[in-house]
Amino acid sequence: MKKLAVALLALLAVFALGAQKLYVSTWGFNLDLLDKNISKPFLEKYGIQIERELGNNSVRLSKLISQKDNPVIDVVHFADYFAMLAVKNGLLQPIDVTKLSNYQDIYDFAKDPVGGNYGVGYTVYSLGIVYRTDKIKRPITSWKDFWSKDVAGHISLPDITTTQGPVLMMHLNKIFADNAYDPELKAAFQKVAELKKNIVTFYKTSSELINLFKMGEVWMAPVTRFSWGQFLETGLPLAWVVPEEGMLGFTNVVSIVKGAKNLDAAYKYIDFIISYEVQLAEAMDLVDSPVNVKVKVPPEIAEKLTYGEDHIKSLVFYNIGFIVDNYDKWINKWNEMIAQ
Amino acid sequence: MKKYVLLIPCLAFLIAFFIVPIFGMFVESIYQREKGWVAQRYLDFFKQRLSRTVYFRSLWMSLLVTLVALLIGYPAAMAVISVKSDSLRSLLMTLLVFPLMTNPVARTFSWLAVLGREGLINNLLLSLKILDSPVRLLYTRGAVFVGLLQLFLPLMIISLTSALENLPKDVPLAARSLGASSFKLFTKIYLPLTSEGIVTGSTLVFTGCITAYVTPAVLGGSRVLMLSTLLYQKASVTLDWTMATVIAMIMFLSTIAVNFLSRAFSTVGVRRWRKTSG
Repeated sequence: MKKLAVALLALLAVFALGAQKLYVSTWGFNLDLLDKNISKPFLEKYGIQIERELGNNSVRLSKLISQKDNPVIDVVHFADYFAMLAVKNGLLQPIDVTKLSNYQDIYDFAKDPVGGNYGVGYTVYSLGIVYRTDKIKRPITSWKDFWSKDVAGHISLPDITTTQGPVLMMHLNKIFADNAYDPELKAAFQKVAELKKNIVTFYKTSSELINLFKMGEVWMAPVTRFSWGQFLETGLPLAWVVPEEGMLGFTNVVSIVKGAKNLDAAYKYIDFIISYEVQLAEAMDLVDSPVNVKVKVPPEIAEKLTYGEDHIKSLVFYNIGFIVDNYDKWINKWNEMIAQ
Repeated sequence: MKKYVLLIPCLAFLIAFFIVPIFGMFVESIYQREKGWVAQRYLDFFKQRLSRTVYFRSLWMSLLVTLVALLIGYPAAMAVISVKSDSLRSLLMTLLVFPLMTNPVARTFSWLAVLGREGLINNLLLSLKILDSPVRLLYTRGAVFVGLLQLFLPLMIISLTSALENLPKDVPLAARSLGASSFKLFTKIYLPLTSEGIVTGSTLVFTGCITAYVTPAVLGGSRVLMLSTLLYQKASVTLDWTMATVIAMIMFLSTIAVNFLSRAFSTVGVRRWRKTSG
């Protein structure tokens, strides 16, 4: 019995010490595909085991804040806005991009989306307009089409509390007042207030929006490209529009936590996930759209991704830091306008 | 002494996982490192017009749902109790409990199919030519009201049936034989003797309503902001935990206050009953 216990302990020790570990905080989506495309090849190549901590942006940011003095996490995946919040809270360390061999292969917009090299963009998605071609007969071409009479009562916009909401408001301010960086977003708020009665609801998640399309409530809405595949699966006659004022571009970034204990492994991980092989595998499985310019995918995959020269060219990026500085004010203003 | 020993496990659990955290939250909501003990944050909350709107909307909605649940639930509970056949009565009870076994998220989402523009109600009214174009039912206060009522009505009925079951069967008979009218029977016998069930049911329904998140979020959306959805916004989007804590405390204190008031009312009722019938 004693011998067995010793043997078991020895085995445990081998498991515990055998593979170096890297602690990665990320979303809980597509986990089996992440294992296939990232964890397994990463373990084979470097002998480093990836341990994931899962949750949405705000929960994971909260955890980082509470572990600030003694971080458990080495690498963290965030939407660009939350990465910016993490920087403001002093939770991240700048990345020495010269250590990343694949860095020169990614799009310029992905190289430093947060500023100060606090994060590297590893995937991109667009926000365009989707509409029902059987209900709206004329072609939709502009963000301004949300204000036309023939779609009134059948449209939805993202709530300001979504990642896309505040950026869309900046874009609308740009369209209607030629200035995206108005701290009051006066024009955008005024125009959305005009539209309020014509809006079914302000959606909070893409699954909620898909449901609204399926129920016939909504005919036209701004849609994130990563959910476009699910929209196509509804079987509804839908079209994706690249508006003349451009689509909005968003990146998800990967960052290194300040005080990370496995720094070397963290650099290897970041370099690995922006590499050609991983970016291609993730794109082919429709997990994430590539930022590595070398990745080429067939048309049937491309139509479900944020991909292709024209698509990428039409993307408009705004400075996320501007949102962080004004967000509280905008949410209050929004609540006052919508919920009164 | 022995009966208190039996309480220890439950008490230990409640102290560790309820009393201590609640107290900690309360302290956090009234203590500021720079200023010491202040009620500033509560004042800040009520100073905003929007917060007041949201607070009174939540309070009013929860009270209304509780009241309507009581008005619908009482006759239903009486009907269930009056069924003579045991098997039929237990079948009815199962049917009452049944909605509680389905997931509240699923129940809320099914309202989307009923209240939608192409949903059951609109289609029916359109085909009967009562309407000529669909009306907006979703994302209104009415939708939230209906959703909450359906969600919590069973709790009210269950509390009332158990109260009615405990009512001694010979008391109403005696009152009848002494010539009490149906109205008197109800106000003098049934109401006071089931007051405990009414208070319990009302507290359960009210607390459920004011803390419900999924129903106002799904059926009300951004337009019908309630305390729980505002709390979520503060905690999860702007990471303003201080304000989220204040909102949580306001919800908690309001629930305690309503429970206290309804209990006070019912004791007054029972005392009056004892006086008039004693």
